[in-house]
Amino acid sequence: MQTSLRSKVLDTFIEATQTILNPELKKWIDNGGKVTGFFCSYGPEEIITAAGMVPIRIRASGSTSTELADAYLSSINCSFCRHAFNMGLSGKYDFLEGVVWLNNCDHVRRIYDNWKRKVKNPLYHMMSLPKMTTDVQVEWFHDELVIFKEALEKHLGIKITNNKLWEAIKTHNETRQLLRQLYELRKKENPPITGAESLAVVVASTAMPRAEFNQKMKELLKDLKGAEGIKNYKARLMLVGSILDNPNYIKVIEDIGGLVVTDSLCFGTRLFWRDVNEKDKDPLKALAKYYIQEKPACPRMFGEQPNRSKFIKDMVKDFKVDGVIGLRMVMCDLWTGEFFMLDKDLKADGVPFLKLEREYAVVGAGQLRTRAQAFMESIGGRR
Amino acid sequence: MIVAGCDIGSATGKAVIMADGSISSYVIIPSTTKPEITARKAMEEAMGYLGLCSMEELDYIVGTGYGRLKVPFANENVSEITCHARGAHWLLSTVRTVVDIGGQDCKVMSLDDKGNVIEFVMNDRCAAGTGRFFEAMARVLECGLEGISSLSLKSQKPAVITSQCSVFAESEVVTLINEGKDVIDIAAGVNNSVAGRLNSMVRKVGLVEDVVLTGGCAKNEGLAKALEGKLGVKIKKLAEDPQIAGALGAAVIAAERVRKQSESVHS
Amino acid sequence: MKKGMKQPEKAIKLYRDDNAYMQMLLDMLAADTSEEGEINRFVIKAVMERTNDVLQCVEKDEPFIASWYPYSAEVLTAMDVTWWMFAQTAFLGIESPHVLDDIDGAERLLGSDFCTVLRLLLYYVEADMSPKPSALVALLHPCDGTVIAHQAIKHGKWADVPIFGCDPPYWDNERAIEYYANEMRRMVGFISEITDKKLDIDRLREVCQQSNKEYALWQEYNELRRAIPCPHDWTLGPPQCFAMATYYYVGKPQGEAWFKKLIANAEKRVKAGVSGVAGGERIRVLWFDILPLMWQFDIQPWMEAEWGVNLVMNMFGFTPYTPIDTKNEKTMFHDIAKRSLNDFPMVRQARGVADHFLTDIERIVKDYSIDCVIWPGHMGHKDGSANIGMMREKCREIGVPFLYIGLDLFDKRYTSPDEVKDRLSNFFSIHGLGQKK
Repeated sequence: MQTSLRSKVLDTFIEATQTILNPELKKWIDNGGKVTGFFCSYGPEEIITAAGMVPIRIRASGSTSTELADAYLSSINCSFCRHAFNMGLSGKYDFLEGVVWLNNCDHVRRIYDNWKRKVKNPLYHMMSLPKMTTDVQVEWFHDELVIFKEALEKHLGIKITNNKLWEAIKTHNETRQLLRQLYELRKKENPPITGAESLAVVVASTAMPRAEFNQKMKELLKDLKGAEGIKNYKARLMLVGSILDNPNYIKVIEDIGGLVVTDSLCFGTRLFWRDVNEKDKDPLKALAKYYIQEKPACPRMFGEQPNRSKFIKDMVKDFKVDGVIGLRMVMCDLWTGEFFMLDKDLKADGVPFLKLEREYAVVGAGQLRTRAQAFMESIGGRR
Repeated sequence: MIVAGCDIGSATGKAVIMADGSISSYVIIPSTTKPEITARKAMEEAMGYLGLCSMEELDYIVGTGYGRLKVPFANENVSEITCHARGAHWLLSTVRTVVDIGGQDCKVMSLDDKGNVIEFVMNDRCAAGTGRFFEAMARVLECGLEGISSLSLKSQKPAVITSQCSVFAESEVVTLINEGKDVIDIAAGVNNSVAGRLNSMVRKVGLVEDVVLTGGCAKNEGLAKALEGKLGVKIKKLAEDPQIAGALGAAVIAAERVRKQSESVHS
Repeated sequence: MKKGMKQPEKAIKLYRDDNAYMQMLLDMLAADTSEEGEINRFVIKAVMERTNDVLQCVEKDEPFIASWYPYSAEVLTAMDVTWWMFAQTAFLGIESPHVLDDIDGAERLLGSDFCTVLRLLLYYVEADMSPKPSALVALLHPCDGTVIAHQAIKHGKWADVPIFGCDPPYWDNERAIEYYANEMRRMVGFISEITDKKLDIDRLREVCQQSNKEYALWQEYNELRRAIPCPHDWTLGPPQCFAMATYYYVGKPQGEAWFKKLIANAEKRVKAGVSGVAGGERIRVLWFDILPLMWQFDIQPWMEAEWGVNLVMNMFGFTPYTPIDTKNEKTMFHDIAKRSLNDFPMVRQARGVADHFLTDIERIVKDYSIDCVIWPGHMGHKDGSANIGMMREKCREIGVPFLYIGLDLFDKRYTSPDEVKDRLSNFFSIHGLGQKK
């Protein structure tokens, strides 16, 4: 469906999802600015910002082939990783000053080993992310953050002061707050923005200089004030899953009458639902606490499933969701197990749940349409 | 000395007869469901061209074929990978990378200067990158296998086919046709897709020139061009029909066996 | 005195049946009076003993726990806590007639690209085929599968089973070892509370000293496997060494006794130049994964007869050994943590950076005179299969052929034994291996 929304900023954001080098990022680089890419929503982007670089989330937008990556990886590896590594091997990420990984999952952590051997960037950094969320792990991750900060300082020959860190945290928190404001609008009976468009906004927030994004975001929120709400939709949907950065996927669902109003995704609410505590004494301690204990957790966090379930159930209530769609990347073990548990939890609460499999670069519109349509028909549709 | 090589594939059976170090005759026939029958038919036809009546008149026969398939009347059976490599090397001694696209598998081998295989990778688990894939696509595009090649060469803007699985790729092609994409560009996209697959396999063993294509699909010029684009090197053409490389290699090995036998007799 | 959990009847019956089956094997093997026969009977007895320990706890309504081999069981031996390895049901059940039904049942829970053995763990819990421990010590590495499988297990029928995990660091340096040592201290506290048993440091010292002996003997045995020809095939030695040292007789004198028998037999054979492969050893393989125990009857006779293959070394037979310094609590926990992170098979290679795969390949090829390296590519090893390019390049560098198969070690329908034979045949013949003299 279409909104009545006419927004230049939104167009900019949608464009940003189609490539890696958007105009804003290009301008930064042309003016001598450095960019560091990171895999995974647990990447501490604030530290990269504090180091004077622009942090961008690694995507493989625009990738149509994994043929170079397939020489090193196997067909039982996640398609996102294969496409991302393929982009690295094709030179598409040569502009990065640094690339940062965490051991967030088996597929991504191996990209570190392969990438550093085959793709040239001045700096590679791997971080050890805990698999639990007690104070002990916060302490461990704090030490990892210190190691990371020192690695950046050494590489760039600079000092990353606490002040710089607090400034960065402030900027990134502002991004989070602005995005939450956007989602607040989607709680309405007639949201002013589609799910596809919202995804473009969130992806854009990870793809360009943050301060500039924040500026544009404020404009977008202004534009949205005047927009007419979306009316003729069949069902309010929530998407749950890992890496989805292509609005065209959501567009398929929304073109047949679904309306995605919220999510728990890696390019979604898990990025911005909570803020880093700006009242903490130490910025790195605040970051450690945020990433390990406060940020909505991902399935790799042992012991957190009840909280993750509650997060989704609360969303369902707050956004008046009619049905939840789970998106699993083929070969992803973490989300296989997660959906096994979520299925039971949602069933217990009477929330309709559809499990879908997908590959990174392939939309598979025909199959998606069939399943989404059947799902919406089965949940009765409200309109 | 007169020897023969016999290569039984899934789609075709090939026989090559060599006399005193050069090719005397060869045949390519469609495979029957029984490999022994295909082998016999191919041999008899090849022998027929030379007026030979019985296999007793041959000094040595080497058989080869898919998997652990054995040609029953052969003196010896050798793996098809070794045979393909040898055949390609006999035709072009500078070859170091052989890309073989057969009916239902595809493989890439790296060779040393004597034609021995150093490393190889195979795809025999699915149709992607094989003759089956091309057949399916040719059906959908209604252009025949030759058509895919000739059409693709006219394309300036190949369509993009992202699915690696040939079943999904087929439905992608149908979608492209319905969207009104030019069949020229789709054909080029099909070749590109296979070339991408082969490119991965070449990178696994390491690209060393000279590179040649063997197997039934090697005659697809569009595919060769697409692969050249991805590898960044020119693919050398073989002097004989690339589809006989396996049987030829088998014959070459047969000749070596005879030579060795006579040496040991005389020493 | 702490009580045990209420047991699913089906599971207990299965365990009794298992023991009956083992007894039957023992009776069959009684006729085999050879040294090898005795060594094998020893192992079967060890398996039965453990099952009996669990059944005894059930009968006396006493607690027992489920744990994993990379959680150095020296502390459990020292605390005199009965434990069984959580994956045991899956590993032993693989030979049972109902295993395909079990695997299909597991697929309904966790789909088809999730590691089969981890899937079975969840299935056996949900199907009441696993004895219910008083506590589950969850393994949180080396792979994603185990992290989420344990969460799924906790979510279902074992919601009332207290669960504990040691958080694994990604590194292997001093900082990581100290961190993990603290995690293990916490684990001991957790187990103490559940079982009411305390860890006495002097007792731990005894156990660690005993364990050190066993590991030293394991290394001695491995050195004998370096001989050409290798004195034992792949079904005698490596899998049992692993089972004895890390599971059945951790820090117990029976383990030492068993290793000595194994070594004596191997020594004799090395002195006499007797090969573990009856028809003669022609290809020495590094099988860089769990041994294909379920494939024994399908491919071993063929491999040995046709190609003279001996899987001289594999991932689970290769456990480098640093003795535990038993000076005090600090040194012991430090070294136990080090062993847990850096020595135990599969964890050692897969939990951290890929370099561990590569350095092990290089080391093993050199030490064991390996002719070729096979990465079976079990479908659960997502991280390992992303190492294929690097492994291939390493093998190229050190001049040995490398083969990647891609199979399911537990489900022969994924890649059939015939397909595997085809792959192996092609591979061996092309590289000129296994030529009969």
